[in-house]
Amino acid sequence: MMEEKKDYKKIRLKCGLEIHQQLATQQKLFCGCSTTMTEKNPIMILTRKQHPVASELGEFDIAAQHEYLRNRNFYYQVFNNESCLVECDEEPPHMLNREALETALQVALLLNCSVPNEIHVMRKTIIDGSTTTSFQRTMVVGLNGFLRYKGEKIEIKHVSLEEDAAAIVKEDESSATFRLNRLGIPLIEVGTGIITDFAPEEVQDVAYQIGMIIRSTGKSKKGLGTIRQDVNVSVKGGERVEVKGVQELGILAKVISLEVERQLSLPKVAKEVRAALADGNTKFTRPLPGAARMYPETDVEPVAVDAEYLKKLEENLPESWEVRLKKIKKLKISDQLAEQIVKSDYVDLFEKIVKEKNVEASVVANTFTNTLKDLRREHMPVDNLNDEHFYKIFELLKKRTIAKEAIHPILKELAREPDEDVVTIVRNLGLEAITVTELKRIIQEVKGRNPDATKDKILGLVMSRVRGRIDAKIVVKEVK
Amino acid sequence: MYSQEIQSVLEKKKIRVGDRILVTTKKAEYEGFLMPKIELGDANCIVVKLGSGYNIGIKFDKNVSLKLIERGRAIKFKSADVKVAKDPKKLDVSILGCGGTIASRVEYTTGAVFPAFSPGDLLLSFPELKEIANISGRKLFDLLSEDMTTAHWQAIAHDVEKEVKAKAEGIVLMHGTDTLHYTSAALSFMLQNTPVPVVIVGAQRSSDRGSSDNLVNLVCATTAAVSDISEVTVCMHGTMNDDYCLLHQGTKVRKLHTSRRDAFQSVNVLPYARIFYAGRKIEHLRNDYKKRDGKMRVDDKVNPNVGLFYTHPGMKPQVIEVLAKVCDGIVIAGTGLGHIPSNPNNDAFAKSLVPSVKSIIDSGIPVVIAPQTVFGRINMNVYSAGRLLQQTGIIGNNCDWTPETAMVKLMWVLGHSKDMKKVREMMLANVAGEISSRTEVRGFV
Repeated sequence: MMEEKKDYKKIRLKCGLEIHQQLATQQKLFCGCSTTMTEKNPIMILTRKQHPVASELGEFDIAAQHEYLRNRNFYYQVFNNESCLVECDEEPPHMLNREALETALQVALLLNCSVPNEIHVMRKTIIDGSTTTSFQRTMVVGLNGFLRYKGEKIEIKHVSLEEDAAAIVKEDESSATFRLNRLGIPLIEVGTGIITDFAPEEVQDVAYQIGMIIRSTGKSKKGLGTIRQDVNVSVKGGERVEVKGVQELGILAKVISLEVERQLSLPKVAKEVRAALADGNTKFTRPLPGAARMYPETDVEPVAVDAEYLKKLEENLPESWEVRLKKIKKLKISDQLAEQIVKSDYVDLFEKIVKEKNVEASVVANTFTNTLKDLRREHMPVDNLNDEHFYKIFELLKKRTIAKEAIHPILKELAREPDEDVVTIVRNLGLEAITVTELKRIIQEVKGRNPDATKDKILGLVMSRVRGRIDAKIVVKEVK
Repeated sequence: MYSQEIQSVLEKKKIRVGDRILVTTKKAEYEGFLMPKIELGDANCIVVKLGSGYNIGIKFDKNVSLKLIERGRAIKFKSADVKVAKDPKKLDVSILGCGGTIASRVEYTTGAVFPAFSPGDLLLSFPELKEIANISGRKLFDLLSEDMTTAHWQAIAHDVEKEVKAKAEGIVLMHGTDTLHYTSAALSFMLQNTPVPVVIVGAQRSSDRGSSDNLVNLVCATTAAVSDISEVTVCMHGTMNDDYCLLHQGTKVRKLHTSRRDAFQSVNVLPYARIFYAGRKIEHLRNDYKKRDGKMRVDDKVNPNVGLFYTHPGMKPQVIEVLAKVCDGIVIAGTGLGHIPSNPNNDAFAKSLVPSVKSIIDSGIPVVIAPQTVFGRINMNVYSAGRLLQQTGIIGNNCDWTPETAMVKLMWVLGHSKDMKKVREMMLANVAGEISSRTEVRGFV
């Protein structure tokens, strides 16, 4: 470990992070649509063209963009409750969502930023079709902040609030299809200064801390793709390469070290943008663009942030993740599990369930970390699970209707059939918990039917009847 | 405009919009370009564009100091220098700007949006146009479409005539969308027997964005301008998709939505054609249009002094009486088949407007009726309210004009005569397709 760190110092590893976190606000950033993204079937598909707008760009650039865009069709899937005329670029934006702005301002204050007195919404030009307008609405809410890490100040360049772009469904040479339900969901962007001389694992740690700070507002969205990172990587004497769209914080260190290896293996590094792949590797996408092309969004009034309001926000900031971690560690839970849960998307829900349902903290923490990780590994659509599902399950556990062994199979079924009732699933899977007395009766019955069987054989037969309904250790004890 | 306080400091320090400045507050320092103050927001906030491209507002008070770092360059656009050789196989189309920025250029340093009107600018923004026609272009005037007056309609009519005399083979008028259908109706009456297509086009999305409907609308309008549909028409998106535009008859079209691309739809009739962006294909929906021939006659006499109002439940007769004092003609957008409060049942609360209408008409001021439902035809024979109203001498029974077209027509007719008999005769004669004899089954959205 020491050896590795020294290496990164020697090659002068420099990283810059941009963390994007979706917010689970009641409404989208500039309209009244829901941010849930649960609708499956589009009600219609829009067909659109885009074209370049003449600017200080040279005539040649415009001609090239025309050539690229002229035979390209963009298709947009429209969802009934999750997209309206605003997402369709058929109506001007409504007023800025105050819930989202307040959350972004909290993050800015938690990261020690200065907040502008007046917030101006900008249009950032985008020509890949991922927004129906051909620009993304964005505003800076915090500047020149910092974050403390291992005794050093990590510079926070900006905290911005922007609308998320539409998610791409498919793409070929002449067209691209997008889902409009993600477009307009509030997105907080935190950009760091250059982080120098830290190892990839430490840069990942910084990203985790920023993620935890955003999550401490209680307004972040959960699940894969709700937090996305871009990371700039450069080594001594080389160009800066931007890796976009790292979908999981946990693979950031791997992305950085693989990118460092890639750069070190090349005689010359080109300045470019690369897309992150799920396995931590990256692929080339396009050369790095120049300064962002931004101009004012004149359809939205600038928002004044007066001193009194800011002071009130400052006095009521959510508790820091360090304080939270200390509290969780007191819940009769291993330090390792406590650290896992505080980094997880589910830390709010974990705390609520432990408090309200009064169930064993370690069981709840394990469910939100290891069980969900296992289910993801089994390719279960874990993002279908909502807070209500977990409340129901832990209520049944509390009432001893189910054993903790039943949690995994119930969640698996719920992930596949999220509209199904939890109690029905328990019944259909035969997962109602049994008492020790009932267990004893079953053991006697099995022994009676198989008088010549060995103890192991009996154990196997009994387990097949009671799996998930009672602690396996009790079964072993009772059979032996 | 910035506050007096800020302006005097800027003057003193000789700082101008576009200069790179340093703003120091008690808590922080910000460096960037000084931006112009937009209409919205606090006039006492200095707006600065940071290096990242973001604008922020910094409240100005005695603790804030400004320092000039670098003089900004003057921001001015030169018209683009796009030269295209004239193609003898293509028709000459003249594009005239009547306000509404259907084409523009963005200057990202300040975020300023400049309207673009020169042929070079148009061809730079819409290179597709040169595949359709030989393009020339100029700006007639620059104003918001809600500020249009009858004088502007007259000016446009004369400019169109000038272009046609100069051998333009098709005219495209770029126009703000809010009152576009008033202008299309007015030009339909004023430009009689036009030998070339006169196509009015606008954009529902601002031209600074790459998603603007301006491209598809302008390409389709230019396609219409080289067709043989020699009438005053409106060419706008047919649906929310960028697939085709509809070419509407100038007197039978209305803006029916505040913001959608397909806000303009034909009322009571089918559009003349669908014009597809891809392949520039024209699909005719009607064949009763005027072809390219004859000689244009401009008949631009109008009387702007006409009022238009909606009747509604509980309306006071005094409203129309007051209007009659200041107008030479009145259009009532009546309810249903063409009704106004008339109280044939002698209800204790209801008040009839019929006696007021009668005395206004008797005093020599024509009153015209049109449907506030927008779609459908006036028929004042069905209910007693309608029968009572007919007896006043109101004009418009069995007409299927929109309230706006009826109003524009009354202005035009009153420009020709004040004689009630003559006005009635001209109003009820079909001049530019504004009154149709049959209501199309498909003439509804």
